[in-house]
Amino acid sequence: MKKTEHSPFSVLWREVVKDKLALSSLLLLSLILFIVYGASIMLDQEEIVKVDLLSIYAPPSAEHWLGTDYGGRDILGQLIIGTKNSFTIGLAITLLTGLIGLTVGLIAGYFGGVIDNVIMRIIDFILILPFLMLVIVFVAIVPKYNVFTFILIMSAFLWTGKARLIRAKTLAERELDYVSASKTLGTPDWKIIVREILPNLSSIIIVNLTLNLAGNIGIESGLSYLGFGLPESTPSLGTLVSYATNPDVLQNKWWVWLPASLLILVMMLCINFIGQALKRAADARQRLG
Amino acid sequence: MTFLQVNHLKVYYPVRGGFFRKVIGHVKAVDDISFALQRGETYGLVGESGCGKTTTGRTIIGLVKATAGEILFDGKDLTKLSRREFAQYRKDIQMIFQDPYSSLNPRKRVLDIVAEPLRNFERLSPQEEKRKVQHFIEKVGLHPESIYKYPHEFSGGQRQRIGIARALTLNPKLIIADEPVSALDVSVQAQVLNFMKDIQKEFQLTYLFISHDLGIIRHMCDRIGIMYRGQFVEEGTKEEIFQNPQHIYTKRLLSSIPNADPLKRQEQQTLRQQIEKEYEQSYSRYFNAEGRAYPLKRISNTHSVAIP
Repeated sequence: MKKTEHSPFSVLWREVVKDKLALSSLLLLSLILFIVYGASIMLDQEEIVKVDLLSIYAPPSAEHWLGTDYGGRDILGQLIIGTKNSFTIGLAITLLTGLIGLTVGLIAGYFGGVIDNVIMRIIDFILILPFLMLVIVFVAIVPKYNVFTFILIMSAFLWTGKARLIRAKTLAERELDYVSASKTLGTPDWKIIVREILPNLSSIIIVNLTLNLAGNIGIESGLSYLGFGLPESTPSLGTLVSYATNPDVLQNKWWVWLPASLLILVMMLCINFIGQALKRAADARQRLG
Repeated sequence: MTFLQVNHLKVYYPVRGGFFRKVIGHVKAVDDISFALQRGETYGLVGESGCGKTTTGRTIIGLVKATAGEILFDGKDLTKLSRREFAQYRKDIQMIFQDPYSSLNPRKRVLDIVAEPLRNFERLSPQEEKRKVQHFIEKVGLHPESIYKYPHEFSGGQRQRIGIARALTLNPKLIIADEPVSALDVSVQAQVLNFMKDIQKEFQLTYLFISHDLGIIRHMCDRIGIMYRGQFVEEGTKEEIFQNPQHIYTKRLLSSIPNADPLKRQEQQTLRQQIEKEYEQSYSRYFNAEGRAYPLKRISNTHSVAIP
């Protein structure tokens, strides 16, 4: 008898492999990340962000492959460090919000009643707050502003959506008989949540986290573009793009902003294509493979 | 000796409405029922869908909280126990669920499903655990190698047997079977029911058998309680209920059993029409102004009917 693999990960993997677009996206993304993380080990951030007045706005040449910006800083180096920073921040925010959202959503959905009500009202309250304005305020008042605090500020607001999603799925799941069965078999609540319900939500969690990753990289770039992201001493994709606010740079010095913009576009598209394939895998009716 | 005694059990759900979501009424899912189970017997709870029979079963095992009343198990009132104290009675009362498709976690192997109660109550080495699981899997007529498979690799009947094996692992005294065969097709139903009868003898089990299928109830049960809108309308031994039904609702329920003999079809139809007529004429004699049944009245040692 042929043994059919049915673990959620093998289903997700099979779907990505079946979808040529998602597979090439995955390969391209891995390649970009491999180069970026590999190269950033060898590059020195201090060296790259050092101002060099002799080579301001140098066009691409043998010495500076992608030219330099208004401070004479190498764009390629900034691009690599910036991609690393942007991706790391996006990933950290995704994982942190995923963790908080998962915990809160599972508790609210499983126990229901008063606990659910209290948690959901808190989430509603956070959701109606003007997100962008508050992030800007926090950025202004935080004494020591760096990558770490940026991640914390973003995570404090972005976990709510995930908590709601997980809660909704948990509500549906806990009505199923296998949860009742576990209760009658004397399994404690935390064990039912972690061992019984969580594995049944795993595919939806993976899908949601993947799609969110693209969004979070976008948010970081957007905020940096507006000037509320990371300081210039920590290059990110957003800071590179924000140089384009200068009309002269936008019109005549394409090498400053174009590579970063293209990289954002390519990375977000890749992650989205992978996410779409995973999303199809989570819904048996839409699967290709 | 009375093994399980249910006294004046009530399960009400509040209906909220109005501006401040005040309680404006109650859905009386189970409304003041009392019955007793003797050790080793099979007690059948019958009634139309929504009459509260499943709620009764789920209340006894603690999945639903009772609004009022007591459930005495070996002299202890289960409704008054805290969660911690209830845990030791968990071992003695187990449940077989209606839907074999949703009652097994699709992400777990059969070994993990059947071993779940063992891991909660007994400390066994993996080898002992595996041996015990295999023992019960063989008891329910499945291949011992199948413990490494996932639930979706089994048919409905096989899945229900896995559910039964899981309920048996702790050697319970009482098993609540909530429509255990309703989701199965008829050929498999008989197989599972006969198997349940066999293990009843082998493990000295007491069954609380919940079903809407009178044919199955007749096959399985010693005593029967007929429920209607959360109340008992008649209670008695199998013979009394089937040969000598007293309450009009019981008569209606019995007349609805289809007759397999095509020659008797006409006969059955006239009987049905006759009972329908009797039901319309004598409705007010059996139900009060609110449409609820009267309290049970004893008409013989074992037979009680809800008549005024």
